[in-house]
Amino acid sequence: MSIKLFMKSLWVFHLNSGSCNGCDIEVLNVFTPYHDVERLGIKLVASPRHADVIVFTGPITRETLPKAIKAFTAIPEPKAVVAVGSCACGGGIWYDSYAVIGGIEAFYKILREEYKVKIPPTVYVPGCPPKPEAIIYGIAVLRGILRQKQRRTYFTEKEVPELTKDLIINIEKYMESKSRKEIYNGE
Amino acid sequence: MSARLHILKEALRTGVVTKKYPYEPVKVPEGFRGKPSIDVEKCIGCGACVNVCPPNALSAEIDLNKSVKRIILFLGKCIFCGRCQDACPTEAIKLTREFELSTLTTNDLYQVVELKMAKCEICGKPYATIRQVLFTAKSVPKDQRPLLLLCSECRSKVSAKYISYARW
Repeated sequence: MSIKLFMKSLWVFHLNSGSCNGCDIEVLNVFTPYHDVERLGIKLVASPRHADVIVFTGPITRETLPKAIKAFTAIPEPKAVVAVGSCACGGGIWYDSYAVIGGIEAFYKILREEYKVKIPPTVYVPGCPPKPEAIIYGIAVLRGILRQKQRRTYFTEKEVPELTKDLIINIEKYMESKSRKEIYNGE
Repeated sequence: MSARLHILKEALRTGVVTKKYPYEPVKVPEGFRGKPSIDVEKCIGCGACVNVCPPNALSAEIDLNKSVKRIILFLGKCIFCGRCQDACPTEAIKLTREFELSTLTTNDLYQVVELKMAKCEICGKPYATIRQVLFTAKSVPKDQRPLLLLCSECRSKVSAKYISYARW
């Protein structure tokens, strides 16, 4: 969906929004000769006004929130967001801390309610920290090079055995007589 | 000039080190802690993983109206520590070596396992999943197994009655 927005190279502004530095080091790894993401035209820039994409690493602490809003609104349209690490995706290990907003979703909620900002396409890269390949995969999903593998799965049981005294007492016989699939079936 | 030649010689000897990752698959090392996934055939919904999960990426939810229990795994909080794998009694949840988890919505980061619950024979309250009752029945002596069909409150009442009879 977002490939049409960016036909040319992506320039990335990296913002540490209260990260522990683990994800920052992985973002740095992506730019080493070993992974060399510049072959895909991706470049780190120093100012958000030059950037197309903003990379958030960290759960967005209360201290970084005004800076994050400033940097986010400074990026010209069209823009995209990459949330690197579990912290940026949903709060991570700090999900119930008083000092933390709690990930990009909560950040967007503040932006939508108080600043009336249009929410850009976002790619979430979970991992603690994510492998450098996982970050490259996230960028590839954003640009439409690769397809998204991860999907929501919802399992419900179809049929369940009725619990009776006979069944419970002779459970060994029952388990032997039926295969595992017959006992636990669902979709 | 000679220094440049030296660098060129070194570069030619080393060759290309850059990986072609998005266009070529990459090898993941043995024992890599990747995405945790729940085997829906083995999961009994006991909630042992929920108790040990440090960031509450795994959570349990009991719906009393439908009498179902849901084990919800949200990867957006997971720190890939592998404690759920150690705690699971049936080895249902395991860390795979998958790392390509990027999504365009947070909704895709969920895995939900919904299991039906058994109702207490006396008070009719749902107390545990049917799979959990079947799983624990194997390790309980035969004469005490009917007590598994009761919720914890009714069970303590009934077993207290048994004990008082035994004393007489």
